[in-house]
Order: sequence, then structure tokens, then C-alpha cells
Amino acid sequence: MDFAAPVDPARATELLASAVRRADADHVEVALLARAGEYTRFAGERVHQAQNITEQQVVVRAVVNGHAARVATSALDRVPDAVRRATAIARAADDTGSAWTPQHDTTDDHLLWHEDTAAFDAPARVALAAHAMTEARQVGATAAGMVGRAVTQLAVASSSGALRHVVATEATGSLTISDGDGSAHWANLHRSSDALGLTPQTVQEVVARAVRTRGRQPLPHGTYTVVLGPEATGELLGFLGVLGFDGGLADAGVGVATEPGRRVASELVTVTDDASHPFGLPIPFDALGTTKAVVPLLIAGRVGGPVTDRTGHAHVARESLPAPVAANVVMAPGTEDDLVAGVADGLYIERFWYTRLVDRQASTITGVSRDACFRIVDGRLADPVRGARFTQSVFDLLSAVDGVGIERRAQPIMNVWNGSVTAPAIRAHGFRFGPR
Amino acid sequence: MSAHGWGALADDGIGSALVEAALDAVDGRAEYADVRLVEAEELRVYRQLGADVDERVEHSLGIGVRVLVDGVWGFAALPLVDSVDAATAARRAHALAVAARGTSKPVRLPELGVHSGRYETTVGQDPFAVGEQALLAEALDAACAPREVVSAQVGFNAKRQYRHFGNSVGSRQHQHFLETGVLVLVMAAGHGDVQRRSYPNSFHGDTAAAGWEFVVERDLVGNAARVGEEAVALLTAPVAPSSTADVVLGSQQMSLQIHESTGHALELDRILGDEVNFAGSSFIGVDDVGSLRYGSPAVTITSDPTVLGTRGSFAFDDEGTPARRSTLVDAGIVRNTLSTLDSSARAGLPLTGAARSDGWAYTPVCFATHVYLEPGTGTLDELCDRLGDGYYAEDNRSWSIDERRLDFQFGTEVAYEVRGGKRGRLLKNFSYGGSTPRFWGSVEAVADDLRIFGYPCGKGEPKQWSFLSHGAPSTLVRGLRIGVA
Repeated sequence: MDFAAPVDPARATELLASAVRRADADHVEVALLARAGEYTRFAGERVHQAQNITEQQVVVRAVVNGHAARVATSALDRVPDAVRRATAIARAADDTGSAWTPQHDTTDDHLLWHEDTAAFDAPARVALAAHAMTEARQVGATAAGMVGRAVTQLAVASSSGALRHVVATEATGSLTISDGDGSAHWANLHRSSDALGLTPQTVQEVVARAVRTRGRQPLPHGTYTVVLGPEATGELLGFLGVLGFDGGLADAGVGVATEPGRRVASELVTVTDDASHPFGLPIPFDALGTTKAVVPLLIAGRVGGPVTDRTGHAHVARESLPAPVAANVVMAPGTEDDLVAGVADGLYIERFWYTRLVDRQASTITGVSRDACFRIVDGRLADPVRGARFTQSVFDLLSAVDGVGIERRAQPIMNVWNGSVTAPAIRAHGFRFGPR
Repeated sequence: MSAHGWGALADDGIGSALVEAALDAVDGRAEYADVRLVEAEELRVYRQLGADVDERVEHSLGIGVRVLVDGVWGFAALPLVDSVDAATAARRAHALAVAARGTSKPVRLPELGVHSGRYETTVGQDPFAVGEQALLAEALDAACAPREVVSAQVGFNAKRQYRHFGNSVGSRQHQHFLETGVLVLVMAAGHGDVQRRSYPNSFHGDTAAAGWEFVVERDLVGNAARVGEEAVALLTAPVAPSSTADVVLGSQQMSLQIHESTGHALELDRILGDEVNFAGSSFIGVDDVGSLRYGSPAVTITSDPTVLGTRGSFAFDDEGTPARRSTLVDAGIVRNTLSTLDSSARAGLPLTGAARSDGWAYTPVCFATHVYLEPGTGTLDELCDRLGDGYYAEDNRSWSIDERRLDFQFGTEVAYEVRGGKRGRLLKNFSYGGSTPRFWGSVEAVADDLRIFGYPCGKGEPKQWSFLSHGAPSTLVRGLRIGVA
């Protein structure tokens, strides 16, 4: 099957540039957001959802008298109509607005392309799924997961002269091995499927970890020293946006990003939104055509600043107001390859689930631990423990980090187009399981 | 132009021709195929304190084709221009199914009937043909009247969509859906605290299968003013205590409780393990259906997409199964699941018509339809009388439940002390937690004040959205663990 940009790049840029040339607005941007993805989902001894999905949307943002309006369409032949309609809506506003109009005029074309991802075709993905199911079956367990490849395409033309285009590959893999009441999980995403790390050895390790969770016992309520795996750490970092680093909150005087320089985490914790980083899903500009700046969120534990439209983080949410969001969050690695060895009595937590904000002021979230979680005794993984509910301050925990791992993995940021968070494992103290 | 006459797929004949083109492309090469052709247009208008109006219109038109080859599914979706795209999608779906043959345990569907027909949402006033700006501006002003309000959003949304469906058995269906919704969300800051209030639903507002009349009936300005004042009042309200207490949960909070602990727990694909890698499984097993005591005798929960006017209303689900009423929980006993063709065939359980998908681009999976708690008797005040001493809590603020839909923790925007059946002090940061069967087993009584709320819901890999609804009356629960967060 073809594995290419959903819209021919030359056609895409000409279409957008032509639409901009004909626009009758004070300012206009026309952006093509497209993705062609193939996803092999498996569970219950079968590939149950083999999917090939191409989606595309051209978003027109027209500004008249300071008022902005957006019209989007999936049909390329409707783009001129979308420009006219957006302009008419913006023009209909009866007073003067203050919509920001980026004035950049960059013309460029990026190719974040990995041939290994292009070769990660349906037979290769099915073979990987079959291998995981076989490995699990041999120990009396079951495998479920998803492996996929995609091409993401973003093109932007604007009346200030920008004409930008990027095509990027994307590889994704996740695996859950269930063994009775126990389970283990692994996930990663990257522009390169070779860098994904979903190898036969990885499968073997996840199967072995799942087997070790057999007969897991309830976790007593209490406060623990924890080692959080990369996925659990990434889930915590995914809250930085709603704790104040996503745009809009700081403007309203809400959240931690109103206090640059304030210490909220250990000096071992440095987190940036970095679209130039090879990990995660980097992409060089946003849907307004603005180059993504590297935005330090936490610098050695101190507050940096929020992402904004001006830093290249414009984002239109589906069921809510558009607000800038961090989209390629990356935590700096540490130096320890075995964080567990540094814990005399504690817990290893592989993954969190259904985490939600409870109290923005206190940075408190709730959720449950999930999959392969173990007691740590004398620097080694010991008995498996069941998932348990926690209610925990994100910054309290990040302040108590005393070890950061080397290996990092990435996961998607929910509901953010092309969004990901990349994190290493961390060791921290004072994690509370159970009610307050 | 009527509310139902717009777009490229208004003509059923055009839709049918494209469906046939896709089916023809795999004719004789699959034991089953179905095609969904969807054209959708969505209007969203938001006004926010200190910002310009955000107005956007989104249009999409595409096709999703699913085939079953030697018991293995393949699915492909494409934006649609002409019949070539329809055939391309069908061929891609076929190729994916072929690639997975031999490594997958096959599914065998039962003999399917032919179900054809048309359906349209009943609409009073076309929401795409009204001027909503003045009302939204007035509502925003009302919400922002107190100086402690630092953030406020008022929004309006409307969506219309044609869904043409056909399958290789011969079913041909044409549905036109139209929905309308509103949102008020207020944040107040002061006294070292930040508090939020929302109306009419804390989940991206409330949306129903209706026209502009849905907005008119909501008294947006009056309610915006109310939640603005309540957000400010919460700043100085006492924090709700930690204890074990009897609680009346309001309709909105109960609707989310149903969504998380009933709807998701009864999705048959979860029960069978299809979603274990991401969304999770269920504490309910296939063998539990018909016997598991899930709740008290006061708890009867129904799936019924034939109820008109909800975000979960339809005549056919997204794989062509006619809508039907199914009792999920009958007087506390699990009787049915939310099932699809695939899951019901594998589990040997009844097909309940709960295959839903996000537009044309995603494969149908088990999602809730219109799932609601059957009302009991008496008003909210009478339920509080019955409560005696305890708390009344309403409007969800925080929600979390484990991957088996068993252990949950919810927070509400507001709570009130209830003493001798009378509402007293306003309390903030109310939370409660528990396990699903114990919670539902502790339901003593259900009032008659059923309210219905529209929800978005995410599931699947890649993640897709479904749009559904839940109805709930105020509910009295005894012995609830509160103040857990």
C-alpha cells in the first residue's frame, strides 16, 4: 500500500497559496492538517482491528477588523469557499477586535522521514502482533496491543507571506500482557520505527514482567518511596499544561506559570517543550505557521514560562475553546540506569491510569496505578501489588525526586493533535496511596 | 432550506450510489462488508472573558468501509471526493484483512437481517439559521459580573450530519442528525483559592438532538449569572469533611456515575478484552450477565436510543442494527451488555445495537447509546427529607475510575450540608469514592426528577470520540465514603 503524504506536497502548497492570494480579508492563514495512518490492533488471539485511516482538514483563519473566524473542510475543492465563508463571518462582527495576526514570512519545506517507518507495513506489523500473542500464549498469558505507522502532514500559507510544509513519519507501539489477575505494559512512539524499541526482546521482557505479577496482593494505604516508570512519569508531566503552562491560564493569573523562577521541583527535573528534539512527535511549526520555540517549562526545578500562540503552540481543541498547548514535552534524562537499586523499601509503579486534576492550586491529581507494580525491598523488585488509587500533588512529588533514569519513552498527549510527552523513570519520596 | 436540507449528501440517491461503489469493489471477496458515508458540519461559537469571539465551522465528508474476510476484519477510511475514493477505501480494508488472515482467530457472524429506512432528528428551529451572538454576549456579561471571576466562557455548538449506510446483506439506511448545545464555565479566584462552576453540564456543556429551542429553554443568562455568583461563594465556603455519610447526588453527577461505572463496565468489547491495552476491561464477566447483583433493587438502568431528543438517539447504530430498548440492569441484576455484531457473536450474548463510531474515519466499537437510570418517585426535596442528615452534591468537578470500572473517585463543584432534610451551608471540594457494586448496592431511593445530559466519550486506538447521553434522577446513597481527595 502507498505510504506517502495524504496530499501531494506540491499540490498542497499551491492549493493553500492560491487560496490565500484570493482572500479578501485583512489577514488569512490556510493550514492543511493531514494524517494517513495504519494501525494493527490485536487482542484475544486475533488482529481485531486492522485499520487504515486517512484524515485531512484544511483550516482557514480569516481576520477582519481584528476579528478572527475559522472555517474548516475535509474537501480540498471547498477551500476557496471556506476562505470566503471565514472572511464573511469575521467581517460580520460589529466592533473592532484584537485578534493576533502573526507576521512571519518563512518559506520552507521539511521532511522528517524515516524509511524504516515506511517499511513498517501491514505484514511486518501483523508478524509482530503474532509474535507477541505467541510469546504470551506459551506462558499461559494473553497479549493485546497496537502497532502502527503514519504520515503526518502540515502545510500553512498566510497573507503575510509564509508558505511552510512538513511531512513526518510516525511509528507507534504498545503492548499489554495479561496473566490471570496480573499484567504488564509497554508503550512508545517515535518518528522512526527502529527507535521505537518494540523488539522480540522487549516482548520477552514484558511477558516476563507480567508473569511476575501473578498473585499480586492489595497495596496497603500509606506513603511510599516510589520509582515511577517512564510511562508513569510521562503521565504526571502531562499535567503541566493544566497546572499553568498551557496558554490562557497564565493570562488569567491562574496556575504556577505566573511565578517564573519559583522552585516547584527538584533540581534534577528539567522539562521543555521542544519541537526540535528527536524524541516524541516533533514538528517545526504550528497551525498558524509560527515556528515552535523551545519553551523551558521547568528549569532545574524552577518555573520557566507558559507556551503561547507566540511560541508556536496554537491549538484548536475539538469541544472547547482554542488555547495554546504544549505539544512535544520532553524531560531531560538523568544518569541512573537502575533507580530501584537505590530504594530500601518502596514501590515500583509501571503506569498510571485515568488521572484527573483534583485541585489546581495544590497541583493535586487522582488516579490509579496499573499493570506491573511491585514492592521494592533492599534495592530489588519483590512481591507484586495490585493497582491502587492515589491522590497526590504533582509538584510535591517532583520536589522529592532524587533520581532520574537514562532511558526515555514517549506517549501521546490526549486530545492534542501531534502531541507527545517523553519521560525517563524517576525516583521520588512521599507518594501517597489511599484516601487523604 | 429546511434544517435537513443542506450539503452534498442531502440526496439519499447520491449517498446510495457511493455506498454501492464501495460494496461493488469487494463484492464476492468478503463474507461481509459495510459502508458508512458521513457528511458533517459543525458550528462552534465561544465568547471568553478578555478575548475575541471564537467562531468556527467545520465540514467533513468521508467514507469508512469495513470488511470481514475469512473471519478477519479490515477497516479503511478516506475523505471522499467521488466513487473512486469509495472503491479505494474498500480495497484498502480488504487488503488489511487479508494481511491478518492466518494469524487471527476468526469470528463468524450470525445470519443478518435486512434493515433499511430513514430517520431525521426532530427539530424546532434550525440552529444554523439563528443569530446567537447577542445572547452569548449577554450571558458572558452575566457570568462575569462578580469581580472575583477571572475566567469565563460561554459557548454554543450545533452539528448536522448525514449518515448513509449500506451492507453486503442488503440493508440501506439514511439518517440525518442535528444537535445543539450550550456551555457556561466560570472560574473565580480569591482568598488563596480558585473555584469553578459550570452550566448546564460540566463536560464541555450540554448537547442534545434538538434545534435552537434547546438553547432557549436553558435560560442561559440567568444561569450564567447564578454560576458566576456560586463560583465566588465557593471561595469562602468551608471545605467538605472527610467521613462516611449519606448523600443525595444530583442528576448531573449521577449521569457521570452512570457513564463511568455502568456504561463503560457493560461495553461487551471491554468485557471480552478487546480494549485491555488502553481503555481497560471490566469487572463484569460474560458469565455474570443474567445473575450478577450490581446494585440495589432501586437500580434499573436502561439503554434506549429510541428515546427522542438525546445525543444518544438514533434509528440504526453504526453497523446498521436497528435501535432497541434494552434493560441493562434490572432491579439491581445485570441483564444485558452494550454490544456490537462482533462482540455479541463471540460472547453469545444478545445484540443490543451499541456500535458507535466517530464520523466516517473510525471503526465502530461498543459505546453507550442513551443509557439512563430509571426514575423512582418523589421530588428532590422529598429525597432530602428521606436523607435526613447528610449532604447534597452536584455537578462533576473531577472524575477517575480504574481500568476495570470498579474503584472510582469523583469530586463535585458544589455540595450542601443537609440537616433534618433541609439544605444548609454551601461546601467546597466535595469528593467521594468507592467501588462500583458497593456504590450501586447502597442506593436506597431514586427521585422522579430525571434529567438528560449529552456527553463526548473517548475510546479505542487510535482514540476516537463518540457522542452519547445519560439520564439520571437525584439519587440517595447511604454510607458513602466522602472527603477522599
